[in-house]
Amino acid sequence: MNAAAMTSFALPEEQRKKLVRLTLLWMTTMMVLFPLLASLGYFMRLYQAQWINGIRPEWFYAVLTLHGLGMVGTWFVGAMAAVSYLLARYVQPSLFVSRLAFVGTVAGVGLLIAATLGGLFGTGWYFLYPLPFYSQGVWPGWATGCFFGSLAVLGVAWLLWSVDLLAAIARRYRLSHALAWHVLRGESEPSIPPLVLIVTVSLIALVSGLVAGVIVLALFGAEWLVRGFANDALLMKNLIFFFGHIVVNITMYLGVAVVYEALPQFAGRPWKTSRVVAVAWNAVLLLVILAYFHHLYMDFAQPLALQQVGQISSYLISVPAAVVSIFGGLALIYRAPMRWTLASALLFFGLMGWAIGGAAAVIDSTVAVNFRFHNTLWVPAHFHSYYLMGVVLMLLGFAHNLGVELAGRAESALVRGGILGLLFIGGYGSLWMFYWAGAHSIPRRYAIYPNELSRGTHDAAIAVIFISLVLLAALVYLWDTGRRYLQALRT
Amino acid sequence: MAPQVVAFRLFLVVTAVIVAVFLWVAWSTRQSVPTIDLHKAYALRRRFFYALGTILLFGMVLTFPHMPYPPGDHPPERIVFVVAKQFAFGISDRPLLNDQDWEAATYAEPVQIPVGQLVEFRVTSFDVNHGFAVFNPEGELLGQTQAMPGYVNRLRMRFDRPGRYDIFCLELCGMGHHRMRGVILVVPAGGGPQAAAAAQPR
Repeated sequence: MNAAAMTSFALPEEQRKKLVRLTLLWMTTMMVLFPLLASLGYFMRLYQAQWINGIRPEWFYAVLTLHGLGMVGTWFVGAMAAVSYLLARYVQPSLFVSRLAFVGTVAGVGLLIAATLGGLFGTGWYFLYPLPFYSQGVWPGWATGCFFGSLAVLGVAWLLWSVDLLAAIARRYRLSHALAWHVLRGESEPSIPPLVLIVTVSLIALVSGLVAGVIVLALFGAEWLVRGFANDALLMKNLIFFFGHIVVNITMYLGVAVVYEALPQFAGRPWKTSRVVAVAWNAVLLLVILAYFHHLYMDFAQPLALQQVGQISSYLISVPAAVVSIFGGLALIYRAPMRWTLASALLFFGLMGWAIGGAAAVIDSTVAVNFRFHNTLWVPAHFHSYYLMGVVLMLLGFAHNLGVELAGRAESALVRGGILGLLFIGGYGSLWMFYWAGAHSIPRRYAIYPNELSRGTHDAAIAVIFISLVLLAALVYLWDTGRRYLQALRT
Repeated sequence: MAPQVVAFRLFLVVTAVIVAVFLWVAWSTRQSVPTIDLHKAYALRRRFFYALGTILLFGMVLTFPHMPYPPGDHPPERIVFVVAKQFAFGISDRPLLNDQDWEAATYAEPVQIPVGQLVEFRVTSFDVNHGFAVFNPEGELLGQTQAMPGYVNRLRMRFDRPGRYDIFCLELCGMGHHRMRGVILVVPAGGGPQAAAAAQPR
């Protein structure tokens, strides 16, 4: 392994080696799951295009559920593993807890696969109450049990992991320092890396989201086990969307934390925690929690004030993202002595995907617009923008750079160009089909489009071509990065 | 022009600007300098902050009055009751109180609504969450609300031309989600059998 790349770790040598191996394990898992789960998206678009016959629609909804939860989970653990690795430059996270999280994740994914592919559990990734109890005979009770068991195992494992990372930060920094409040007061010491600030903000929010998830599971469990007990549908919807919104957004922010830490190495310039950066990320802590209300705009029974808070906070949260993080990333790169590699290109253009998806999300967070866009294909359009072309690129950039650092093998311009070309054409092409269909009122999550909405069938057929390119990119990337990992493990 | 199309075009413009800026910045690294003029960068960031803030404020002022939530002090001209249940909509002029009412409504003739009348759909569900989305005869989504067990969501609409308006479910509700639908007929003001016939173009 390339020792020069590893010199700045806060861990003892033996611990550092274990951390590297564990991170390689997490990244390999992430890289393997990416094409597997993407192929489920490919299946769904094929199904919508009516190119697959003889398979019942129940399979579409089960695959939809596995694809959604699987992708959210994959990129969440990928982001957590990446920031754990980078945080080890400053603090000492527990390797035991990270291993425990890995075991929990594998167990949780196993249960999820059993529930969906084995039991055809098909509620979609946010399992709106009380749909899990109304299967219409499609999924049996054990599949519901497996699904909630999966969420419980994943929730506990990830909660422990989050708390451990926060504890590791707290052992070195006071909370007020980790949140850069002293920087807000104009003090420059102690110096706080943006990575520490962003991870602290993100994990505090994440813990609140995971706690909401635990409450949801407890309430589902209570209704399942206690005769006569029934939950309130609006309360459950608020809790579920708070949980889901937080997990998805925090994954994004952890990816951005990786960019803050990794991109300066390629640009040859520092990216520090200035007062503006501190203000921005402290604002995010509040706004990300309030913005979840935008998921409930079409629940007219929700109090009007909360709908207004949803739009205001969704608008406001774009300001720190655009003015501080994205502008900061652009200023960092502008006329910099940039070392362009596959990793740096992925990190940089991951910011672009975040910006594009963010713009689409702000438009959709307008109540009057959401009235027409809610649950159309505009929704997967924007979240695939900042996932597939945002945080996914950022984490693939991190994982590839790790392989390059450890194995030291030179990059092939052909492979680099091939991966980027396939990802960009395939990724933005498939996004275009989502946006285009969403703007034409095509609903999302339809196994089969009725004649009145046949545009959805046609658009899905075109999207299949673009998703093929994304799949090809993922496989070439896996081959190129995987052989570096193998070489690193052998040396 | 439909609001969806306006939003889509706005998005395309913003995306074009974002892509252009990112490509320009990436291209700028061909002629690198050790450091950039930070004062200029901060000034540009300040201008960007004010510009974005103005756009967002403008967006809020422009769109807040168009929130679809019904005001409490302005009664509708017509009330239509909607109950969603796996996998059909019961739509009726009478309140639907139980499964029998719902089932009868799913087989009943479509509700007829005169052009220009302010109608309030009182939407609920007897089982899981559904989406009650109204599409015009051209397949354009006009508006929607959720159908939620235990709650009644009040969706107000005013139709400007006659025709058959399809209702589709926009919230995943189980294996039959994609085939869950309903219909309403919008008839010329004045009503009558001729008007109903005129509203059946397909």
